[in-house]
Amino acid sequence: MLDVALVSLINDLSEKAGADGVIQFWQRVGENLASRMGKEAYLGWPSFNVAVREGRTAFSIEGETLTLTDMAIMDIDGDVVGYLYALKQCVFLPTILRVRYTSGDLPRADREVAQEYNESQHDIAICNFCVFHERFREEVAKNITVAGQPLTCLLLATRGFTGETKISPKNLPKVGINPEHVRALLRNYECVYALEMRGAKLREER
Amino acid sequence: MSRLVESNPFVEVATHFFLEDLADKVGISGLNNYLIGLAKTLAANMPEEEWKEWGEFLTALRAGDTMLSAFEEITTVTDHCIVTRHSPFERGWREYTKRVGSFSVAHKQVADFYNKNVKPTAVNSLHIILQTFRAAAATRVNVGGKVVRYAQVATVWADGQRMVAGDAERKDLLIRAGISETKLRMLLRDNADVWVLWTD
Repeated sequence: MLDVALVSLINDLSEKAGADGVIQFWQRVGENLASRMGKEAYLGWPSFNVAVREGRTAFSIEGETLTLTDMAIMDIDGDVVGYLYALKQCVFLPTILRVRYTSGDLPRADREVAQEYNESQHDIAICNFCVFHERFREEVAKNITVAGQPLTCLLLATRGFTGETKISPKNLPKVGINPEHVRALLRNYECVYALEMRGAKLREER
Repeated sequence: MSRLVESNPFVEVATHFFLEDLADKVGISGLNNYLIGLAKTLAANMPEEEWKEWGEFLTALRAGDTMLSAFEEITTVTDHCIVTRHSPFERGWREYTKRVGSFSVAHKQVADFYNKNVKPTAVNSLHIILQTFRAAAATRVNVGGKVVRYAQVATVWADGQRMVAGDAERKDLLIRAGISETKLRMLLRDNADVWVLWTD
């Protein structure tokens, strides 16, 4: 019930502090959670991807995370510097359903927070939880090294409960992947992000 | 309503951090007020209910068709004594302790505040939400034209910590529940909550 209560909490907070206040609050919570989870180091991408598959990384708290091994990100020398990862199901979806079957609609604040975030920061949020989620992943990535290199996380695409999709105009060019390719991924996944080595020099768009 | 899909425990972990951040800002008594307000709002957002008689209500309660059992799987020991086998918050807490570490002390501090000022039946912050929710939800349920009343008898957390209603109140509640002290202690071995519902 805590998740359903959270939805009321967001509504209340939004009334008191405004949508931008909720965004700040969520981002701070994302940073705090990521910092509490500590650092991780992996010898290379194979060991990191095995850890993802077995649910041993900080990212695994989100639930089952899939490594899209056919979607490696290469640098200008042809070395693999990252991969795309995906969640089959948005972590907030069960909560949306639970709210639907207990109290009814999601409160207005959920949409307002997402909208404010899309307009002021990054046009990628489908619901208010995306705000927390993006910052959490960014901070976790900073705490993980693969072959001695810290990672960076780029949220690429999201699909919501009602079928609405968002593809990041800001992050897609950074990983050099065609938007149509990402759109196709959204048929099967609800959240797609990239993890790559910080500062890597990438190849041209595929 | 029947059984709800399970939440993703990550959302619950995030909510714990949300509450911890709130505790930093408004203090322990502020957080206590916030949790109480939160639970009352949640109950107020759920539609009111009416049941013809106690038997019909109990059937709905067991099936998860009333708001009082929407978030937890319960069994009825007697017509008025209800037990929750596993706390609805246990999965989230386990995920927190597995992925993050030990639970923030704020959750215990706010429970201590609640136990001192409201009723001594909370082990941590989550019980304030659950118990306040049940109390507020009960007032929205009508059985045979009468409002349902709720009281918490005892709470056991996943780590074994327990809180039991004070001696005087417990005696009265056990009579309402139709169970003995010994039976209560038996129930506390493998259940998370023991509570009572009745109408005046």
